[in-house]
Amino acid sequence: MNLRPSLIAPAAALLLILAASGCGRHSASQGSTSEKPVIALVVKTLNNPYFIEMQRGAEAEAKAQGAELIVQGAEREVDVERQMEIIENLIQRHVRALIVAPSGSREIVPVIVKANAAGIPVIIVDTRASATELAAAGGRIAMFIGSDNYEGGKLAGAFLLERMHGSARIAVLEGIAGHETGDARLSGFRAALAGHPGMAIVASQPANWERDQGYNVFQNILQAHPDVNALFAASDLMALGATEAIAAAGKTGKITVVGFDAQDEARQAIKKGTMAATIAQDPAKMGAMAVQWMMKILGGEKPPAEISVPIQLVK
Amino acid sequence: MRSWRPSIMTLPRRLAPYARQFGTLAVLVVLGIALTILTPYFLTVANLLNVAQQTVINAVIAVGMTYVIISAGIDLSVGSILAFAGVVLARALHAGLPVPVAIGAGLAVGIGCGVVNGLLITLGRLPPFIATLGMMSIARGAALLATDGRPISGFGSGFRWIANGQLAGIPVAVVLLAALYAAAHFALVRTKFGRYVFAIGGNEEAALLSGVPVRAYKIAIYAVGGGLAALSAVFLTARLNSAQPIAGLSYELDAIAATVIGGTSLMGGEGSVIGTLIGALIMGVLRNGLNLLGVSSFVQQVVIGVVIIAAVLLDTIFRRRKR
Repeated sequence: MNLRPSLIAPAAALLLILAASGCGRHSASQGSTSEKPVIALVVKTLNNPYFIEMQRGAEAEAKAQGAELIVQGAEREVDVERQMEIIENLIQRHVRALIVAPSGSREIVPVIVKANAAGIPVIIVDTRASATELAAAGGRIAMFIGSDNYEGGKLAGAFLLERMHGSARIAVLEGIAGHETGDARLSGFRAALAGHPGMAIVASQPANWERDQGYNVFQNILQAHPDVNALFAASDLMALGATEAIAAAGKTGKITVVGFDAQDEARQAIKKGTMAATIAQDPAKMGAMAVQWMMKILGGEKPPAEISVPIQLVK
Repeated sequence: MRSWRPSIMTLPRRLAPYARQFGTLAVLVVLGIALTILTPYFLTVANLLNVAQQTVINAVIAVGMTYVIISAGIDLSVGSILAFAGVVLARALHAGLPVPVAIGAGLAVGIGCGVVNGLLITLGRLPPFIATLGMMSIARGAALLATDGRPISGFGSGFRWIANGQLAGIPVAVVLLAALYAAAHFALVRTKFGRYVFAIGGNEEAALLSGVPVRAYKIAIYAVGGGLAALSAVFLTARLNSAQPIAGLSYELDAIAATVIGGTSLMGGEGSVIGTLIGALIMGVLRNGLNLLGVSSFVQQVVIGVVIIAAVLLDTIFRRRKR
């Protein structure tokens, strides 16, 4: 009777994998028989509305262009190893082209080299791949499409400067340290405040792009600096977390909150008055442009090295 | 030597202790067959080597986890130890130390954290869950402190050979993994250490009364767990060409999952290293296969959860029938 369970196990596994492939939007038979080029978009994670917007934009464009799009992402935005695995697996699946929003600017480089070796063109979106690491490893990317995060940070700084009339006690919520995107936003923000001694940054702490950490870290900052009256968060998720901490402290309206990304929830928060402004990137457009350019590249066209997606202040 | 020379007569009896793994192995084989039918990209040499390489990190951590769990313990700190050992290794490499010395430094950090876990559990009488939960936070914080939160990247090709090199067409990391598992299996089933691990997990009181130096062996078990987490940091750092202080988040859960899928009992006293390898491969094959099929990331998480539960459920049913 040892036999029975050992039969159940494989049967269950078989059922499961069949069910899973049924749930997938792209079955293998579609991939292998159709003439459509298969393009893979690998984002940092699909748990973040920003990348879901990017996915929507890319899907709409792929449909218009007659391409088949596979979208994948890791469970955690910071899981560089899992992102690498996903891309390795897609290379094995012989996708025609890769569009990647790197979880780590430097950690992405080894797998770009692997894609190069397999002859698969790579467009990098949103977050740059480290140019020095790429050069050192001999890797090539077809192009980079992203927002100018430095300019966005500057816009946020200029807005606060004007709104606070040149005098504020500012707290900053940073993304994950060492990430190109967050660093660029912060340096743009600081550049806008340079030469205005009234605009004092009294605390600057990482909240790792996460909403709950935005809440907790800002709550802690408020304990240490009860006089803070302005906040710049390097992403809306962190800003939205902080607005809850502000509400819990009974300080709604007394602290001017500026976020980044212009997610739907942040736009609503601005209407409600819990946030003052955010910086609009256009992830949907980023996704769409990436697919558009990838089709041109597959058609033999030579792309520019870099394209910026316009950025604007929403208040 | 005499007892384990293969003989046709004793073969069924000698295989009997491994019968537990047949069910798990069958799951792996059927997964493989199903994927071969569903996608032309699965059963290729390149893809199988790819899966093997992707399994290395989890499989290395899971060996240590298997020892810990068989001894009726748990180690939640391995993901953080991986990060801490990785950044120490990276700093040592950047300081210009020879590769073996730098790797030694990383391993020493892992073993050291493991010894502290062991001391807290034995001398401090803390439950393993609490001691390693504390270490999980301490080692993570230490990794962040050591790097100021930033990744350390860019290493020489000599070091990266561990991830990129090949021996007779097989990736170095996979060869080393096979050697590690052979040694770990031998240690568990053929040495005093292995017997004591089972004895401690089966009934600690009885082990103590029959003269097993329980404290010393428990410390050794956690030291091995920490050391193997550090070893996985060597592979991860070489693979990514970067050591991140936030690396290895929730990897302890993957290692526990591989161990449990492989038939090791969370109650202790029962388990095998080979089962854990199969468990880690099931997780690796599943992730690879779902990527190849283009299944949505959300569905993937559900499927992996279902497989973990199903594997353990089947195991429970199996045991109940045997009794």
